[in-house]
Amino acid sequence: MFDRPFRTARVRPAGAVLVSLLAALAIAAAPARADMKALVEAATKEASLTWYTAHYNAETAETIGRKFTQLYPGIKVNVIRTTAQVAYQRLSQDIKNKTANCDVFSSTDLGHYATLKPQGKLAKFVPENAAKLAKDYQGLDPDGTFYPTAAFLVLITYNTQKVKPEDVPKKWTDLLDPKFAGKVTVGHPAFSGAVGTWVMTMKKLYGWDYFTKLEKGKPQIGRSIVDTVTMLNSGERAVGAGPSATTLQSMEKGNPLGVVYPEDGVVIIVSPSAVMIDAPHPNAARLFMEFLLGTEHAEVDAKDGNESLRPEVKSVMKGLRPLTEVKVLRPTVEEAQKGIPEVIEQWRDTFGN
Amino acid sequence: MVTKDLESSVPASALKPMRARRFDVLILLWLALAAILAFLVINPLARLLLASLESPDTGAYTLANYVAAYGRPRHLQALWNSMLLGAGVTALCLAFAVPIAWAVSRTNMPAKNLVRLLVMGAFVTPPYLGAVGWILLAGPNSGWINRVWQMLTGASEGVFNIYSFPGLALIIALYSFPYLFIFTTAALDVVSSEMEDAANILGAGTLKTTFKVTLPLVLPAILGGAIVTFLEAIALFGSPALIAIPARFNVVTTQLLQFFSVPVRAEVAAAYALPLLLITVALYWLQQRLVRRKGFVTMTGKGGERRLIELGLGRWLLLGYALIVLSLSVVLPYLVLAQAAFSKAWGRGFSLDNLTLGNFTFLMFEHFTARQSIINSFAYAAAAACLAITLALGIAYIVQRRLVPFAGVLSFLAMAPFVVPGIVLAIAFYAAYAPPPFALYGTATILILAFTTRFLPIGFANASAAMRSINPELEEAVRIQGGGRLASIRYVVAPMMKRSLIGAWLLVFIPATRELSTAMFLYGPDTRPMSVMLLDLSEEGNFERLAALGFMLLAATLLIVVGASLLLGRDFMMRRNAT
Repeated sequence: MFDRPFRTARVRPAGAVLVSLLAALAIAAAPARADMKALVEAATKEASLTWYTAHYNAETAETIGRKFTQLYPGIKVNVIRTTAQVAYQRLSQDIKNKTANCDVFSSTDLGHYATLKPQGKLAKFVPENAAKLAKDYQGLDPDGTFYPTAAFLVLITYNTQKVKPEDVPKKWTDLLDPKFAGKVTVGHPAFSGAVGTWVMTMKKLYGWDYFTKLEKGKPQIGRSIVDTVTMLNSGERAVGAGPSATTLQSMEKGNPLGVVYPEDGVVIIVSPSAVMIDAPHPNAARLFMEFLLGTEHAEVDAKDGNESLRPEVKSVMKGLRPLTEVKVLRPTVEEAQKGIPEVIEQWRDTFGN
Repeated sequence: MVTKDLESSVPASALKPMRARRFDVLILLWLALAAILAFLVINPLARLLLASLESPDTGAYTLANYVAAYGRPRHLQALWNSMLLGAGVTALCLAFAVPIAWAVSRTNMPAKNLVRLLVMGAFVTPPYLGAVGWILLAGPNSGWINRVWQMLTGASEGVFNIYSFPGLALIIALYSFPYLFIFTTAALDVVSSEMEDAANILGAGTLKTTFKVTLPLVLPAILGGAIVTFLEAIALFGSPALIAIPARFNVVTTQLLQFFSVPVRAEVAAAYALPLLLITVALYWLQQRLVRRKGFVTMTGKGGERRLIELGLGRWLLLGYALIVLSLSVVLPYLVLAQAAFSKAWGRGFSLDNLTLGNFTFLMFEHFTARQSIINSFAYAAAAACLAITLALGIAYIVQRRLVPFAGVLSFLAMAPFVVPGIVLAIAFYAAYAPPPFALYGTATILILAFTTRFLPIGFANASAAMRSINPELEEAVRIQGGGRLASIRYVVAPMMKRSLIGAWLLVFIPATRELSTAMFLYGPDTRPMSVMLLDLSEEGNFERLAALGFMLLAATLLIVVGASLLLGRDFMMRRNAT
């Protein structure tokens, strides 16, 4: 169906996990430990770092920042949480004005890294933890300038009080059904990297026609993909293309929400982080990168309903399904770099802004 | 007596005779002020113009930026939408403000103090906070108004959709009409009853007199206020970001933001912003002409007798109208904002298990940058207010005393930022001071300077008004005693103007604490003010936290306003003499 098929992410069975765990333990030999100690010392001297992140909602982002400070007392994390395109806009403005503000850049739009890397804006850095990621997340950038540090899914989400069980959508095309006219909520691709990735993937599956049809149903358009959760919670809208983590967190708190893994495929947002070449706190930035790839961070992510990137950490959120059981759509870095700016323009032409 | 006071309050060193001085120190002051104004006003606007005409890569002269800015129908549509929005907001503001202003100023309507208090409440509400309140009130399916409507009528659809063009116009009008109210009451307060009496004697009733005599007399003031309202409406950024994106249309300010998305095209933004500047200059010029031509001969001084118009049942109708408008503007939005700020999920309504302080504790203790951004906002606003008032005082002194040639240039420059919309000023400052050699991008300095420039006209207008009321003879006494100009300013003028200067300081400080559009494009991660953080939080649609943050901003502002009002013995903006 595709000229280049999407790679399907598979979480490896427990036996393999054990093997890789043992292997990791074997690799984590004494010299690396010494390096880490020096890094922690240098980072502690820098005392803080600034993290532009679009990976999480504000709550999880702040939790992760505090977790890092807890592990490395004396290093504060200045968390600047926005949507991916806004974070990228600020970073570009920083670069244009030759003002280095950002230490670690975490976007949900893979294309940003493909653009920044050839400009020489990303530091080459091989974290110790990089080799310990699950196999599916390894080697995203062969040159070692950016690494996936988070992943979540775009799913069909709905308000259980507003949608009858028999009406619950099963695949993405169900959102186009006239019975959902005026009831759909989505984010905006010119703000959210996850929405941009989702739009690009839908376009690849069904052509732009999907969105001209969606437009007829007058969807509610927010900015962040997280906004869909609010729209469903308040009963403003009934169904949406929403994020797995924030929606499941909200369900856990007792809100009347449900998620569907669509038959035609869940869109996985593999979200990288990179240390900036001119990071004002280069050591703190590298230590933070180690932390983002480490198990302590993976545990926070798993608890908040994100996918775990470390094979030894299992996702524990209720409602999350193993990716081996479902069809996963995962665009490549090159597709995102070319495709997301295209769909933003198309979106503006179709939806008016 | 004055001399005696001076001897006791002016230190002897300041009174030393100064034979060596060749020229008045005022010339130096004039030069310094002119240089500052050139830095704050002329250079940014000149850089804006230059940037719009330059190719960003080669620096060569080009019109390509204008082609890029106006070459797409979508961009023109945004411009047209802004004009429509400005017109709609102005019409609504006239309908809200003029009847209430007339009732408060000229009739015996009851509960005037309550009405004034609520108008002040609308004035200090940041427009984007009001917009959040209205999303909770009139979200098409979940808004409280629509839910009540559906419950009462059994309808499946709500009655009012805030995510629409009329919705945006309404919420902007609800928080802009206080400007028009202030303009109109200020003019009505000095209209004497004699003209109305003449009309009454000739047989005209109350209504006819009002429409044929009173309102035409204050028409210039109303038109002036209407123009300010129009300019405010087209320059606003926060409310359109919250409403127009879901409502799927663009206005000039949201379009300007798009030019700053990657690739950053500041030069195209400059080209797109300049016509906005021309529109405001043209309208301001029109307003000046209107005020001049109509004249205020009948309204000079407060000598004429003023009596309130006795209304019967009508006064209750007017009060009802005022309270409806003010409920929409203040009472209802704050009610739902309070509900949201203390809720886990506002959509679940009023119930005990939904109550929480979590939104406040998250912002205060768990959010790393929230506290910092609150401190930023208040620190920058205070610094900008001090700078603006100091500058304004110096300029007003030179202009009022006419001691140096070309003093008028200073007053023109001090008033010029009035016609520059905040977001355009931000782009101008960005073009002038973000790149090297100044390299002020993201610093507190650039934010404070931009805020100072933006609100300098308010400070200057107030300082000149206050200066006018001081008799120059008092300063001459200092000079006769051998004190310099600066000594006379420091020991005579400034102390005498203290009260009005505090009032002016507040009038700069309050809008600066919540200024959003001027801060756009200029802040960095460490200097992010609260207004920008609110915008960032609003991306996620987390209205509970937005409401809580809004309340914290408002509480801090009110604390300062109440404190200053106690200090001054009057409310700082509405009336000079509280009744």
